[in-house]
Amino acid sequence: MGFLGPLRKRAMDAFLKQGLPGRKSEEYKYSNPEKLFRGASIKPESLGLESVNFNVSGLEKKPSVLDLKKLDKALQAFEIKGVSENRVVLVNGVYIQELSALPDMPEGVLICSLAGALTDYRSLLEKHFSKYADVEADPFIALNTAYAGDGLFMRVAEGVTVGKTIHILNVITDEASALLNKRNLILLERSAEVDVVESTVVVSEEVNVGRNVVNELSELILDEQSRLRFYRMQQDCEGLNLISTVQVLQKASSHFDTHTITLSGDWMRNNLNIVVDAERCETHLNGLYITRGIQHVDNHTLVDQRKPNCESNQLYKGILADKSTGVFNGKIFVRRDAQKINAYQSSKTILLSDDATVNTKPQLEIYANDVKCSHGSSTGHLDEEAMFYLRSRGLSEESAKRMLLYAFASDVVDTIRIEPLRAYANDLISKQLDFDIKK
Amino acid sequence: MLSIKNLKAGIDGKEILKGINLEIGAGEVHAIMGPNGSGKSTLSSVLAGRTDYEVTGGEVLFNGKNLLELNPEERAREGLFLAFQYPVEIPGVSTINFLKTAIAEIREYKGLPALEAKDFLKMVKEKQALVELKGSLASRAVNEGFSGGEKKRNEIFQMAMLEPTLAILDETDSGLDIDALRVVANGVNKLRSSTRSFVVITHYQRLLDYIVPDFVHVLFEGRIVKSGDKELAMELEKKGYGELTR
Amino acid sequence: MQKQNELIDQQIGGEYKYGWSSDIEMDTAPMGLSEEIVRFISKKKKEPDWMLEFRLKAYRHWLKMEEPKHWAHLDYPVIDFQKIIFYAAPKPKKELKSLDEVDPELLKTFEKLGISLEEQKRLSGVESRIAVDAVIDSVSVKTTFKETLAEKGIIFCSFSDAVQEHPDLIKRYMGSVVPGTDNYFAALNSAVFSDGSFCYIPKGVRCPMELSTYFRINAIGTGQFERTLIVADEGAYVSYLEGCTAPMRDENQLHAAIVEIVAHEKAEVKYSTVQNWYPGDVNGKGGIYNFVTKRGICLGDDSKISWTQVETGSAITWKYPSVILKGNNSVGEFYSVAVTNNMQQADTGTKMIHIGKNTRSTIVSKGISAGKSNNSYRGLVRINKGATRARNHSQCDSLLMGDRCGAHTFPYIEIKDKSAIVEHEATTSKIGEDQVFYCNQRGISTEKAIGLIVNGYCKEVLNQLPMEFAVEAQKLLAVSLEGSVG
Repeated sequence: MGFLGPLRKRAMDAFLKQGLPGRKSEEYKYSNPEKLFRGASIKPESLGLESVNFNVSGLEKKPSVLDLKKLDKALQAFEIKGVSENRVVLVNGVYIQELSALPDMPEGVLICSLAGALTDYRSLLEKHFSKYADVEADPFIALNTAYAGDGLFMRVAEGVTVGKTIHILNVITDEASALLNKRNLILLERSAEVDVVESTVVVSEEVNVGRNVVNELSELILDEQSRLRFYRMQQDCEGLNLISTVQVLQKASSHFDTHTITLSGDWMRNNLNIVVDAERCETHLNGLYITRGIQHVDNHTLVDQRKPNCESNQLYKGILADKSTGVFNGKIFVRRDAQKINAYQSSKTILLSDDATVNTKPQLEIYANDVKCSHGSSTGHLDEEAMFYLRSRGLSEESAKRMLLYAFASDVVDTIRIEPLRAYANDLISKQLDFDIKK
Repeated sequence: MLSIKNLKAGIDGKEILKGINLEIGAGEVHAIMGPNGSGKSTLSSVLAGRTDYEVTGGEVLFNGKNLLELNPEERAREGLFLAFQYPVEIPGVSTINFLKTAIAEIREYKGLPALEAKDFLKMVKEKQALVELKGSLASRAVNEGFSGGEKKRNEIFQMAMLEPTLAILDETDSGLDIDALRVVANGVNKLRSSTRSFVVITHYQRLLDYIVPDFVHVLFEGRIVKSGDKELAMELEKKGYGELTR
Repeated sequence: MQKQNELIDQQIGGEYKYGWSSDIEMDTAPMGLSEEIVRFISKKKKEPDWMLEFRLKAYRHWLKMEEPKHWAHLDYPVIDFQKIIFYAAPKPKKELKSLDEVDPELLKTFEKLGISLEEQKRLSGVESRIAVDAVIDSVSVKTTFKETLAEKGIIFCSFSDAVQEHPDLIKRYMGSVVPGTDNYFAALNSAVFSDGSFCYIPKGVRCPMELSTYFRINAIGTGQFERTLIVADEGAYVSYLEGCTAPMRDENQLHAAIVEIVAHEKAEVKYSTVQNWYPGDVNGKGGIYNFVTKRGICLGDDSKISWTQVETGSAITWKYPSVILKGNNSVGEFYSVAVTNNMQQADTGTKMIHIGKNTRSTIVSKGISAGKSNNSYRGLVRINKGATRARNHSQCDSLLMGDRCGAHTFPYIEIKDKSAIVEHEATTSKIGEDQVFYCNQRGISTEKAIGLIVNGYCKEVLNQLPMEFAVEAQKLLAVSLEGSVG
């Protein structure tokens, strides 16, 4: 029990106070989550507080041996050569030792379930857990903190550089609770360096798992001079409703570099909250979303520049087909006296269909004067001049379109530093674009 | 006209000028040469009154006045002109309007009546010809979108308009091709007079082929280590700074 | 008409909302707001029943509304509407000559701006290029050149006169762009407005002179609730100027107005504002609370509405001059300079709602923050489905002077048509010390240098203003920023 009980109680109170965000919420203006909960059997307040401890046998069940075999086979489809050699498998937030393999981890790297960490590394958890994601700031942070079942705990010790990429397979199955609250804590100590790839996938017997709502929250702490590259691939997760919050704390001279590539999922909300709490930090946020059908994808970023002499860059691109909706809401917040900040943000969208919608809200909130901050946003269709040019050189309309869209997306993909992942992403994107173009 | 005595100055606590002594008489042209980092640009900045620099010792008299006590615009109004090494762009402010304001303030300071609009325009035309500056440039925003050469010519054009008694040319030759250099130098030469003095700061002797100095000083590590006539510049060109500063 | 209202309701969705507070000394109407007060105002103005009905409908709706404060980047106290007097009797015409009686501090400011002369000239009609409707303390006191304009069929008069003399036009257009129930403060204005200006340009007529409304809150303890209605019939053109001033008072005074513009086919309306309401003192004491609903509709094809504003005054500015681009090929423009100094707060921008095909809009916003002020741009660009080939370009720049102020940009971009091209750019910067030093080196004082640089920065917007206003605006910018550079 210990610290968790009171924390969960406080989080629950915070959730009840805030309630689900409605139409009037500025933060959820373009993504009303009410509809996810409407008519469903989920009533957050009825879930109770029976599980105040992380408990593997609590809300989420660990799959049986038989299921594990099936899963192992199913997961082969998501392996990335050169990335998945060191992998961690989470099924509905539960860490599955049997499917995970970490052959190349140097001394000083701890990877285990959050529940396990509660007994084995209690002091670390007490020090960091829920210290960064503010339960008062967002009802979904509160909800997650109140109910979080299990998740991943990772720590890279001081001065350790992890040479090999760690691949987290974040698997959602039919067995998941209707409202699944999963939680990760990733800790990089001084001068630690690591690359992490997280693939979110749905493994399901049924075609559509539409009823699930996954509310995941990751707290990432980057101590001085540490460097984290965090790549998120939201692929093959049809039917998923996801609220994913990544809360980052950056300390002096740290580098945080992240990509959010969303190719699938029914209703996807990605909150990326970066608190840059010290000088000389670098922050790079990149995103690409390619949507179709009635998909809804919302990328919400907040870069909170609290101290001087930092740099941040954001580049988000979207290609929207069919009746899908895209949202980009990005905010650069420069606090008083946080001078010499260079912060840039760019969001670009292409609409492929008359029924697609994009809502953009790029914001600057600046309280220091010696800064260079800017944002640019553009929305349009494929450049007709360019289309004509390509066709006049003999390309079919289809291949001209593919070429231009691919080029549009590649600005984001090209910034992926892990070569095999870049190739893999390019491959996925090509397939998806082919599908959208041929339609 | 300008008398510098044991001038010491620096930036962020680091001393760059370590005791400069220099006397400049009316109508004289002084060249200050020196390797990179010797303090050339610091000297011009301190004389013009850039606030980043801290004067830690010595004195500077300009026409008998304590220059260091004046703020930058007062120095300009007293007749000191600095041609910037990197002229600043001011979007939306036309060069004409800019100069009109400057001249009005300088004349007011000197107790002179305001310049008639037609006299001002006549003057603009005249002085533009001096540096072969296209008329259209003056109606564009100050230095905005100007090429390197245009910016430098614009500096000389402004100098001609403001009619200073002491002009400091800070590496005016940098980034200029030979044709532009000739145009700029011609402009300067036409402005030479018995009442107007020049300080030409340069890294290379090349500019001094066109603007022939009366005196040449070598600045090294914050001090003037050698002074002479234009022959000194030739010598420098031949031997490099190494030998002279040894 | 009904259909149009629905359309507007649908597009604006009651999100354009305002708040205010003021202590107004009792004059004619009793303190507070009630149905009786609304009836009292209407009776006082000898209004026909339909006008009273309009007011009452708005009032009853207002009662059901909430003062929404959740989204704007503004901080002001809760308003007690029962402590406000909603109608002050009109001052006699001698007000016009009352410049000598005005606060000498204010006169000094005016002299600096060269306004006092301008003002007298305008009010006495010396300057023949501008026709003026002067609204002092909510009541239209004099409209010049009425006869000259009448020869062309142009109607330019006080709103009260229009209600009496042109009821058909008022009935047809009043509330057609900003319905009486539109938003909290528009509803309030619709219930209690005292006067304002009306302007109608008939088919094919190009208005030969600038039309101008000069607003002034003069008497102590008065608020201002005026409304302006401009209708440009097919192929008509008019350029309309709005100037505002108020003397310094220790208490917060209130301005809650409505401006409606209707542009028919091929008509063009250019609306320029130089807003110089009293901004309060260095410590934020006093100053006008300025909450205005300004909206135009490009009703006909090929029509155009252009808003230009230079906002230097008010303790609180909350306004979003908008254009509904309904007609095909219609054009909406918004050019804005907003300056805040000391404790001022501004949350201002625009809404461009694209409905018709080939509609185009341009937004240029220049914010300048100094002192301890906060300056926010908030703007919506919406491209509806079916608004094919709509285009928008927005440029929002913020300039910070000093390290205690804030500059913010909150654009909302909603696009539902794939053929749209929408671009938004925003930058934040400070006045370069190197720019100031460069000016200094050429003999220009720091104060003047700031003036030059700021005017250069705002040039794109100032260029949109008619000549007389541009000069005034430039001086105003310099005065507003006086003492902001240390």
